[in-house]
Amino acid sequence: MTRVEIRDLTIEYSSGGYAVRPIDHLDLTFDDGQLVLLLGASGSGKTTLLSALASILRPTSGSIRIGTTEVTELRGQELAEYRRHTVGIVFQAFNLIPSLTARDNVVASLRSAGVKTRAARARAEELLEQVDLGDRMRHRPGDLSGGQQQRVAIARALALDPPLVVADEPTAHLDYIQVDGVLRLLRDLAQPGRVVVVSTHDERLLPLADQVVELTPRAVAGSRPPEQRTLAAGEVLFHQGDHGDLVYVVDEGCIDIVRECTDGREELLARIDQPGYFGELAPMFGLRRSATARAGATSATVTGYTLRDFREHHDADTTALLDDAGDANPAP
Amino acid sequence: MWLISRCDLVFRRRRFVVAVLVTALVFGMALVFDGVKRSVRNEVPRTVEMFGADRWVVPDGVTGPFTTTAVFPADVAEGIADDPGVRRASPVVLSRSVARVDPDKDANLIGYVPGSIPPPPIEDGREVRGRGETVVDQSLGLSVGDDLDVGSRTFEVVGVGDQLRYNFGAPTVLLTLRDAQALTFDRGELAMAVAVDGTPSSLPDGFTALTNDDVISDLDRITKPGVQTIDLVSILLWIVAIGIIGSVVYLNALERTRDFAVLKATGAPNRAIVGGLAIQSLFLSIIAAVLAVGVAWLVSLVLPFPAELSSASYAQMFAVAIAVGLVTSLIGARRALTTDPALAFGAA
Repeated sequence: MTRVEIRDLTIEYSSGGYAVRPIDHLDLTFDDGQLVLLLGASGSGKTTLLSALASILRPTSGSIRIGTTEVTELRGQELAEYRRHTVGIVFQAFNLIPSLTARDNVVASLRSAGVKTRAARARAEELLEQVDLGDRMRHRPGDLSGGQQQRVAIARALALDPPLVVADEPTAHLDYIQVDGVLRLLRDLAQPGRVVVVSTHDERLLPLADQVVELTPRAVAGSRPPEQRTLAAGEVLFHQGDHGDLVYVVDEGCIDIVRECTDGREELLARIDQPGYFGELAPMFGLRRSATARAGATSATVTGYTLRDFREHHDADTTALLDDAGDANPAP
Repeated sequence: MWLISRCDLVFRRRRFVVAVLVTALVFGMALVFDGVKRSVRNEVPRTVEMFGADRWVVPDGVTGPFTTTAVFPADVAEGIADDPGVRRASPVVLSRSVARVDPDKDANLIGYVPGSIPPPPIEDGREVRGRGETVVDQSLGLSVGDDLDVGSRTFEVVGVGDQLRYNFGAPTVLLTLRDAQALTFDRGELAMAVAVDGTPSSLPDGFTALTNDDVISDLDRITKPGVQTIDLVSILLWIVAIGIIGSVVYLNALERTRDFAVLKATGAPNRAIVGGLAIQSLFLSIIAAVLAVGVAWLVSLVLPFPAELSSASYAQMFAVAIAVGLVTSLIGARRALTTDPALAFGAA
């Protein structure tokens, strides 16, 4: 039985000197035999989560447990063993070794795990037959189509029969004909004893999934009553990295937009006075807040609107700026 | 990892073949230079030891018999021979002249009393027995029975040796003492040193006795700058070899960065990845060294200078080739070890 439990997972890293937190206090459970889809916009943390599941990226805090193994505590040889035997990875760009034939790409994985050459070849041939590439074993990646390369990559990921398979955008480089075979293969992989986690933008995969995890919350499409908030001096309205679906208009006082740096410093990006607005990019594009908003030296009052309400209730000049994704204000 | 390294060698074979050929040329040149150096180094003790002497008696102030122009009456040797500690005392003339072959060559002249020193190393023929006869180094291109003009005289070649050289490979012409005196001095029975078998307890006034080591050191002084130059050029050649193989291995490692990331992401141990690179570098380096043996042989055929390619030369070259392979693999290994496995994720 394979069960994946993710508890209070936070992953933060530095990008260009700024702290980025694509995964923030995430809790998920994947049951045995499930095909799990991670959906979300670019930058929503899909690949980051897969990297953490594969133990390539160490989380800032929280827990990832696969079966009885606490992945975040693995070090050294245990970590290498985990990567070899517990998780199989299918990469977006296939990442086959160009100098090796299809068979040898699978054999190399087996050999690095200590499998004898003869047994490794037999296993590689069996897997390539399974992914319907029995007649392409001696072809190098450059002689294979994208779909065929991705099937070789899947065979490689399965080489040591891992209980967890993670696939990062496996259909991203495939045309619609090639996608079909890869989709069926991914569906077939999810069976008792194995969990398959796939990150994708491709909504064609949705009907195949046992569980869909949306890492980007869907923006509120309609309207809802405006939310007015009064903030004491220095009080935070939202943090960098938070999800957000409201655009804020300053009614009174001023709001400081600051970016948190990795070294703990803060960089003041803008100071928004009445009647300015801020925070439109997150709801417009499904992104996390790219900066923190808080009241300035005095108390401030702001009103949050859904995108639709914001467009309807504000004057043409303001919304024109927003429609052009204008840079009048930094828009976290 | 040998599977990946081997397939990578085949996959990028054109690049590797070019690198191996150029490196083989460099290794070959280094091997030839080493042979030349060994030849220069060996010819000095070989020449000195040919005389079978324990001491060399020369006028005071002379640093060595092969580098002096000081002369003295040859009969000084007779007085030295009377010393109870001396078994034999042979007056010798050690000078230089031009051997009239095609083209003319500078030659070392050694004049000695036939039978007074051990037989020189002769490959063909016999040693000099009387006036008008000569034994020569084979680099003069003469055979037994040929005539050799030296100065105003003609000599019959009665023997040919293959290691009768000194002064940076200059061929030696062995003559009787009388002939050498006639060629070197206008008149008089003069000598330039006395090769003494034994240890004289006393010497005539104005003379000093040098050991073989003194004489060798004196001759080495002449060749030292040349040998140092060869050493420097050899080191530069090894560095060039490291540069060639290192740049190919590094370029390869740069191109394989994503491969390394994938291998690390899938649990391949660092030692396996680095081992694969080391095997690849060593393979290139050793293949180049094997080819270099042929290159050195071809170059030595046309080299106007003797190169003594001994088993020690080959052993040294292979040792250096292995060192080059290991050093260059470190260049690629550093790249591989610093590759973040997370690089495997994301678009190409």
